[in-house]
Amino acid sequence: MKEEATKELLYKIADDQLVLGHRNSEWTGFGPLLEEDIAFSSMAQDKLGQSLVLYQLLHQLGEAPPDTVAFMRDSTSFHNCIFTELPNGEYDFSLVRHFLFDTAEKLRFEMLRESTFIALAELAVKISGELRYHDLHARTWMKQLGSATEESILRLQQSLTFSLPYALGIFEVSPYEEELTSEKIFAGEKILRDRWMERVEETLKKTELRLPQWESINPVFGGRAGNHSEHLQPLLDEMSEVFKIDPNAEW
Amino acid sequence: MNSLDPRVNRLPQNVTSNKEEAALSQFSTFEVFVQPNPKKTFQHEGAVHGPNLEMAFVMAKEAFTRRFTCSSLYVVETAKVFVSALSEGDQNAFDLIQEPAQSTGHANSFEIYILQKRGKQTVHAGQVFADSPEEAMWNARQQLNKATQVFQVWAIRTDDIRFTTVDEGDLWQTLPEKKFRDASDYKGGEKLKEFLDKGNNL
Repeated sequence: MKEEATKELLYKIADDQLVLGHRNSEWTGFGPLLEEDIAFSSMAQDKLGQSLVLYQLLHQLGEAPPDTVAFMRDSTSFHNCIFTELPNGEYDFSLVRHFLFDTAEKLRFEMLRESTFIALAELAVKISGELRYHDLHARTWMKQLGSATEESILRLQQSLTFSLPYALGIFEVSPYEEELTSEKIFAGEKILRDRWMERVEETLKKTELRLPQWESINPVFGGRAGNHSEHLQPLLDEMSEVFKIDPNAEW
Repeated sequence: MNSLDPRVNRLPQNVTSNKEEAALSQFSTFEVFVQPNPKKTFQHEGAVHGPNLEMAFVMAKEAFTRRFTCSSLYVVETAKVFVSALSEGDQNAFDLIQEPAQSTGHANSFEIYILQKRGKQTVHAGQVFADSPEEAMWNARQQLNKATQVFQVWAIRTDDIRFTTVDEGDLWQTLPEKKFRDASDYKGGEKLKEFLDKGNNL
């Protein structure tokens, strides 16, 4: 049971990173300015790297090798939250998603530093600098565009309002929540969500952006259990297109 | 637009451009200084665009330190880098610096950078105290002018710089592992030889 709980936790974090990493990488070559194109692409690459380490941990627990797990599953076997699979749309949405998701990601890994699953705790320490940069990048952009011009504030506000129900879906409770907390593997989605809300409020206070009452938002759940939007399967098909031509090819 | 790259077909189509927008996107530039490891001095790496100092720092981190190693970086607005005349031939740029008319005090610290070889990066030479950039240049001539020739001297008020904070020291923690970002990590020689051998044996 403990191992199942750990696997479920690893899968959802890894799948989040893989799917959002892939989505964000779609901006490579199309970023709003050259420096930002490089920064956003680098962070997308970081996410893919983090997902790889997590899939390696899963492989050590008996799951299929990382490439198989990443490229050969269909959407119903993915545990990412729906937020990560939504199409990029315009840059304002991608930035808002980056801010809301990466804030949660940084806090999640801060909590995982205390995990009794040592390999995960070590990973959390190791990637703290990457997560610090992602967080700094996201907050700096939000503060900049969230108080720059009427258009930038309006665009971010619309994307924020659209994103919040999906963002709350990050914290969909796991069927193994009790095992995870009692075994001190992870302190739980509820604690993470409360810390995230506090942190999001703290950053947005420095902007002209408005947060609705948290209670008024209906979270979009389902992703953690494999119930995804129509956007995930096409993303997976595109991501694995080359790999599937010859799954045994040596690269 | 219809492209073979599916990402292109998904790009937002309603991109508009007007004069007002153009004016807002004309960012100023910021100079970026990098320390590859704690034993090395800072050196100038290039410039980034940005609407302010903090954004420039965020942009500079990936634009200039996404490969090899880095222990620290800082940025300063280009307009705040005070530059001496560029010397020619065997003339030393320090010798071209004039004593300011008035010497008022030593209230501010300035970072002094020197260009030791044309075509190379400008490197950190030391710190001086002065009230103005002109005075900083003069003090640098007095204090940092070594026997070797330099081609240009820069003075930057330390308070104008966005430094990497102590907390941010871990920003480059995993960088040495990202060898895949450099071409040297891709060795195709053996695979190519194998491929050619296969062809020859057909």
